[in-house]
Amino acid sequence: MRVISILFFLTFLILPLFAQQTAQLEFDKANTLLEEGDYRGALKGYQKIESQGSISGPLYLNMGISAVQIDSLGLAKYYFLKTIKYFPEIPETSAQAARALEFVNSQFSRQSATLPKLPWDKAVDWLKEGPSSSGVFWLGYSLGMIAIIIVLGNWFHFFSFKKQHSLILIFAISSVLIIALAFYVSYIDKRYDEAVMVHQEAQVFQSPDEISSVVSLAYEGYTLTIDFIISNDNPAWYYVRLGNGQYGWINKNVVYPL
Amino acid sequence: MTKIGNRLGSVVFIFLSLLLTSTLNAQDVTVEATLSETNIFAGEGVTLQIAISGTSVGTLDRPTLPEIPGLRWLPNRTSQSSNYTYLNNRPSVTISYGFQLIAEDVGSHKIPPIGITIEGKTYVTKPISFKVLDPKTIDTGKAERSPDIYVRLETNVTKPVVGQQVVATIVLYFKTGIEVNSYQASPGWKAEGFWKEELEMQRQARSNSTLINGVRYQRAQLLNYALFPTKTGTLTLSPFTITVRMRQSRNGVRDPFSLSFGQENKELKTLPITLEVQNLPNAGDVEVIGAVGNFKINRKISTTKAMVGESIEVETTISGTGNVPLLNKPNYEFPEALEKYNPQESSKIERGNNQISGSKTFTDIVIARNEGTFEIPEKKIAIYNPIRKAFDYTTLPSLNFSATPDPKAFNSNLTETRLDIKPSIGLAQWKTLDNEFLIDRTTLWSWLLLPFVVLLSAFGFKKYRDRMDTDSGFARSQKAKQKALSTLQDASATTDIKHGYHLIQQALSLYIADRLNLPEAGLSANRLIQEVQTTSPEMHIDDLRNLFEKCETIAYAPNVSQDSLTNDIELSKELIKKMGKYL
Repeated sequence: MRVISILFFLTFLILPLFAQQTAQLEFDKANTLLEEGDYRGALKGYQKIESQGSISGPLYLNMGISAVQIDSLGLAKYYFLKTIKYFPEIPETSAQAARALEFVNSQFSRQSATLPKLPWDKAVDWLKEGPSSSGVFWLGYSLGMIAIIIVLGNWFHFFSFKKQHSLILIFAISSVLIIALAFYVSYIDKRYDEAVMVHQEAQVFQSPDEISSVVSLAYEGYTLTIDFIISNDNPAWYYVRLGNGQYGWINKNVVYPL
Repeated sequence: MTKIGNRLGSVVFIFLSLLLTSTLNAQDVTVEATLSETNIFAGEGVTLQIAISGTSVGTLDRPTLPEIPGLRWLPNRTSQSSNYTYLNNRPSVTISYGFQLIAEDVGSHKIPPIGITIEGKTYVTKPISFKVLDPKTIDTGKAERSPDIYVRLETNVTKPVVGQQVVATIVLYFKTGIEVNSYQASPGWKAEGFWKEELEMQRQARSNSTLINGVRYQRAQLLNYALFPTKTGTLTLSPFTITVRMRQSRNGVRDPFSLSFGQENKELKTLPITLEVQNLPNAGDVEVIGAVGNFKINRKISTTKAMVGESIEVETTISGTGNVPLLNKPNYEFPEALEKYNPQESSKIERGNNQISGSKTFTDIVIARNEGTFEIPEKKIAIYNPIRKAFDYTTLPSLNFSATPDPKAFNSNLTETRLDIKPSIGLAQWKTLDNEFLIDRTTLWSWLLLPFVVLLSAFGFKKYRDRMDTDSGFARSQKAKQKALSTLQDASATTDIKHGYHLIQQALSLYIADRLNLPEAGLSANRLIQEVQTTSPEMHIDDLRNLFEKCETIAYAPNVSQDSLTNDIELSKELIKKMGKYL
């Protein structure tokens, strides 16, 4: 029993703390390189931290700044977007990333035409970025539990009030609908993801084959939407939707999914 | 006045009968083949006429043409005509077949005898000798005859340079006795290796008289094309085909009311023309934009004072006569600090005056991303003049402009080339990357199942509680064990052995009565055992019977110890447990 307790303590308390300390240490080293002007070395250090599974808002922000300094604007855009996406709760870092993103966008000589999103897509995006699918799920779950509590209270005569059956029905239906919505948002989140073009130029093909006809050209900094379900069968290609609404296949090496 | 009614009736009768049957009698039949021209130019059409004459009607099949060397038969253009005369009270019938043929192979040839079968008897025409002449001999004056009508493709130059305008004219030559009413150019003429533009012509082609090898011809220009060679070498213009609608007035057919008598369609082809296209001479270090002709070039800038981020247009206009459609955009060396966008181009082409003229405009779009003064350097352009056979050089002066910051620009500092965001250093809040999606979480399904489990459990408990409240038999049955065990507990606590056995009997009796919903009192042990046996025949009741007997006879037992009582209490507990499964 004592051994199990020690293992539990190590697994759930000590190891995460140790990982965080290691990440901070590596982060400080990379920051020093950044201040010394070794932007590539700094970026490599930051990427190492990320590959170890630790992330933070300042990490992505500094990665974006390093990428700007080595004139890789597509990569910089990618990291600034990640800062905003994963750390909206840190207002200062998010605001800095947003300003940096504005700067980076202004540097691209080619801007993609962008179709406005449909209201339904906007709503799903808001749910993804805001409460997230988990948040929506727990909301629906809570409503369902309220319905069950009212039912139990009625059965065991703890309380009774008028129109409780209507209320139970409303809570139950709302719960089912909201949970279904949570599943849909999660499905969309899993299937589609934004990606940033990090190479200067790439062709978008009609099929996952370089000899197929070219649908369009994508340039550095273009944001694309990847369909992971369709892309699954082709390990070297992503099936993407361009900002202008065109669909096609692009080489995996030239885009980074957020 | 001569009465003609009977004669006219006979003629009409014969005419109609011949018209309906197209037949000849085998008696007094003659067949004759004639060729409309025996000296034919290659590509020229000729008519082979086969006339069958006789005095009376009979069965006649259309003659079948054999293979004729040097000529090709046009099957869709075969004509048939009949001529009937009534002379000296004797009818005479002539049926003629006109076969249209096209001369192909130059040389001397012969039409073989053609057999015609009339009512089983075969008649044969005489062979006809003819010559197919080379049409090139028309122009050299060595032709054995002068054709009535022919067409030529004539160019104004034979050795152009790449990009030089070549005017190709389709010219029709016809003799004075021929009347040409209309013409139609066959579509699909391809000038391989040339950029082709059709030039505007006068509404109606006018002819003028000309003497060719001593023969008077009318010469009419039908169509004009401007051709621009796009590559060097020997390039051949393929034959151009036109179809003319014409009439030969010397045939003696008069058409005072314009009813198209004697008119025929004739297909004419030009001879192929070969041009030797030469490359442009070397222009040195000066940029050649492919311009060949008489051009002027001009360059201007949309503004000399712009704001940072404002688009500036550099417009280059090339105008004049020559290969306007083929002009290329001059390449300018813009300062590195300027952001360049895709240039635009527009052109205006005129096709009048037997030449291509107009202008082409190229617009370069640049944007200054920083403030400062910028210079687009001067540029020297070479334009080839085909008349002088040399390059004309034009120098475009340099263009200057300045860019100042836009005071109205929002967040103008962000559009500068320097990123003013400072790195974030110090302690950071770390978290692990969690890419697990909601639908992939296994615990989620447990959470989803939980409300149903809770609800079902609560429902079962509610049902049980309700039955306990309303069903006394069920309630006794459910509480039987607890009551029996409580009584047995009392039995184990007592020191009076007889009382203890009384309590055992009471516990067992009550347990059986409660489980089987029997009256609580007034039932003997035998009745209870009997009820147990009736309810569950498979149960062994010997121990139960023995215990009941022991309890009833304990008052007479000589040696009963406390241990015996304790054992029997345990036995009772076992029996209750056992009966719980069966009752």
